[in-house]
Amino acid sequence: MILQMKGIQKSFDGLEVLKDISLHVDKGEVVSIIGPSGSGKSTLLRCATFLEKIDAGSIDYMGQDAVTTNEHGVAQYVPHQELNRIKRYFGLVFQNFNLFPHYSVLKNIMDAPVTVQKRPKEEVYEEAMRLLKKMNLENRADAYPCQLSGGQQQRVAIARALALNPEILFFDEPTSALDPELTGEVLKVIRQLADEKMTMVIVTHEMPFARAVSSRVVFMDKGVIVEEGHPEAVFGDPTQERTKQFLRNYQQ
Amino acid sequence: MKKKIALLLAAVLAATAMTACGNGAADSAAPAEETVTEEAATEEAAAEEPAAEDAEGEASYVFLDETLGVESYAIGFRLGDTELAETVSGAVQALVLDGTYDEIGKKYPDIYDYLCLKAEDIDESKLPERGSGDPNFTFKHGFDLDYPPYSYRQDDNTVGGFDVELCQAVCEYMGWGYEAVPFNWDAKDAELNAKSCDCIWSGFTKEGREDQYTWGITYSNNTQGILVASDSGIKTLADLEGKVVGVQTATSAYDMLQDSKADLAATFGDLKVYETYTVAYNDLKAGAIDAIAIDMTAGSFLIAGDQ
Amino acid sequence: MSLSTMLAAMGEGMLRTCLIFFLTLLFSLPLGMVVMFLRRSRFRIVQSITKIYIAIMRGTPLMLQLLMWYFGPYYLFGMSIRGYRFAAIIIGFSVNYSAYFAEIYRGGIEAIPKGQYEAAEILGYSKAQTFFKIILPQVVKMILPSVTNEVITLVKDTSLAFTLAYNEMFSLAKQIAASQTSFVPFVIAGVFYFIANYAVAYAMERIEKALDYYN
Repeated sequence: MILQMKGIQKSFDGLEVLKDISLHVDKGEVVSIIGPSGSGKSTLLRCATFLEKIDAGSIDYMGQDAVTTNEHGVAQYVPHQELNRIKRYFGLVFQNFNLFPHYSVLKNIMDAPVTVQKRPKEEVYEEAMRLLKKMNLENRADAYPCQLSGGQQQRVAIARALALNPEILFFDEPTSALDPELTGEVLKVIRQLADEKMTMVIVTHEMPFARAVSSRVVFMDKGVIVEEGHPEAVFGDPTQERTKQFLRNYQQ
Repeated sequence: MKKKIALLLAAVLAATAMTACGNGAADSAAPAEETVTEEAATEEAAAEEPAAEDAEGEASYVFLDETLGVESYAIGFRLGDTELAETVSGAVQALVLDGTYDEIGKKYPDIYDYLCLKAEDIDESKLPERGSGDPNFTFKHGFDLDYPPYSYRQDDNTVGGFDVELCQAVCEYMGWGYEAVPFNWDAKDAELNAKSCDCIWSGFTKEGREDQYTWGITYSNNTQGILVASDSGIKTLADLEGKVVGVQTATSAYDMLQDSKADLAATFGDLKVYETYTVAYNDLKAGAIDAIAIDMTAGSFLIAGDQ
Repeated sequence: MSLSTMLAAMGEGMLRTCLIFFLTLLFSLPLGMVVMFLRRSRFRIVQSITKIYIAIMRGTPLMLQLLMWYFGPYYLFGMSIRGYRFAAIIIGFSVNYSAYFAEIYRGGIEAIPKGQYEAAEILGYSKAQTFFKIILPQVVKMILPSVTNEVITLVKDTSLAFTLAYNEMFSLAKQIAASQTSFVPFVIAGVFYFIANYAVAYAMERIEKALDYYN
């Protein structure tokens, strides 16, 4: 098991956003999280990647505790250094790409492996070029983010995340900021990663895509997981009324 | 933690110094002026002729016969510095006796007639001996570089003037070192109190400040006058009614118009306060103002420099 | 006084003006960074003190501040201030300008999207790496026009050193104008300030251009 989250609770200013959520992801799984806006799916992702601190619950990656909850019910993170080591297990692709505008495409991809992981430049360069080729962007290595379309930027962001060789890759609504005609090129890349058995958790509104690419679909609403299962089951024959309602609204 | 302390200190410093400076600025307002000349008198005569214009067709400038008053220039020391004041005063008198005072004065014709020390008035017995000063002592002469011809930047770009030369002669006489401390006139009291200089000696008017300093000898007189264009039709102080008069800030003329001559100033159409007389004089030439209240030496200096 | 003597005298003043200018930049640019960090401190008390400090520095005339830095040590602690004049000027200018720079930096830093920090965090950059590699270069580009403004103001503000009787160019211009009853020194001063600021604007424009490779 790559990721295990148990009993996650998270409130913002007294508003409970995540209510006792548990989620586990096995190696090679592609988990799609769907649900209406404000259901807490993005927050769940941000908690999993430590961008937000949970109030209670536990998170472990590769069997190593990152957060545990003590007897008083308060979440306790492992020490900084330990946490930094655990952070290397995952990558995150943002809705708004968040590329570094002052770095070229190549440097965006290479900088973290070289600066953070201290890997040799030549090796990282090889890998970056390989990733760019995979993203169909090998001729844009020297461009700056502002010179790229949204779809191209998002593919660079994916390459940047992959360059650190994560065990699991999170996607936070990777196509929501894109023009409709550009979503396809990004989804294609994610699909390709799925085919390569990359472990991924994808928060998305692209229902057909989620149905096609996922090994498991999680439907969240109002801070709880309402239904979860094989995509054909969740999309084709949902058991919960709220799921049905959501999917019905979505199809309209 | 250090940062916090430093910041706190800075804040305290700021607050305190603001107060201190506020006071300093308040009583520092009063500068040095200069003297009347024969030239001025000549020009007064010229003024009586209807259109007194010089060869280039420009108007000439004259002092009114009526003046604002006479003042004396003396050396100001820190309150209580009586011994130093007496020694320096004694040395100045000794320099009168040996002719140095007169010799220096002759270099500055604009003020020569206003040098008021006479050999016959001096009691020789009380003067310090030549070379009797502590050779390790350096006398710090505080002055303003904006006050020609008492203390100013000379044609050869050196610092000089009557006061500077006389002070140097005093130091030489006593056997002291001399240090020039040119300061910003507005900060002169702060400079004196903070001991960055030992005296204020820069055409420094004694009147009105009798209690604020321990005074050394009065070595020069000056008269505050009103400078007008000779063809302006202004002949008396009364004619200034409704006129625009310029004056330099922090000068004796300015102080007089604020204080003893406030009644006169009240009759002016406007009193324009300048940072330097140079600008005021240009305004007068341009016709933007009608008159300048200025001491006669400085005024003569302006007129002379213009010709 | 001949024009050449005048120019020579003022040339010396220009050197002093330049000295004030460069030393002030040298100290105030990094000091502004420190002030900015204190201003953004997590500790309320540090934040508040820094706010007051900035308010005083920006809210009182630089001339008063110079007087305070020079005479303060004497009036507060009775210290001798001989030979301290120039240092007081540089301290006064640097501390004052650091407050302005701090606020400019802060504006720049707060304009950087939160996503940049988050991306850096996810990629494993340390706090220092994030600041120096990711945030600072973007801030520099963003604040350059404001910094240019401030630097140009500084060129002209150097004349305030006359408050402490430091013979920078404008003090000399005034002295020479008084002794020569002439406006020429002021014209020379004006030309100097103009050229100096033109040079500053040109240099800054070059830097802006150099950073123009991205948006």
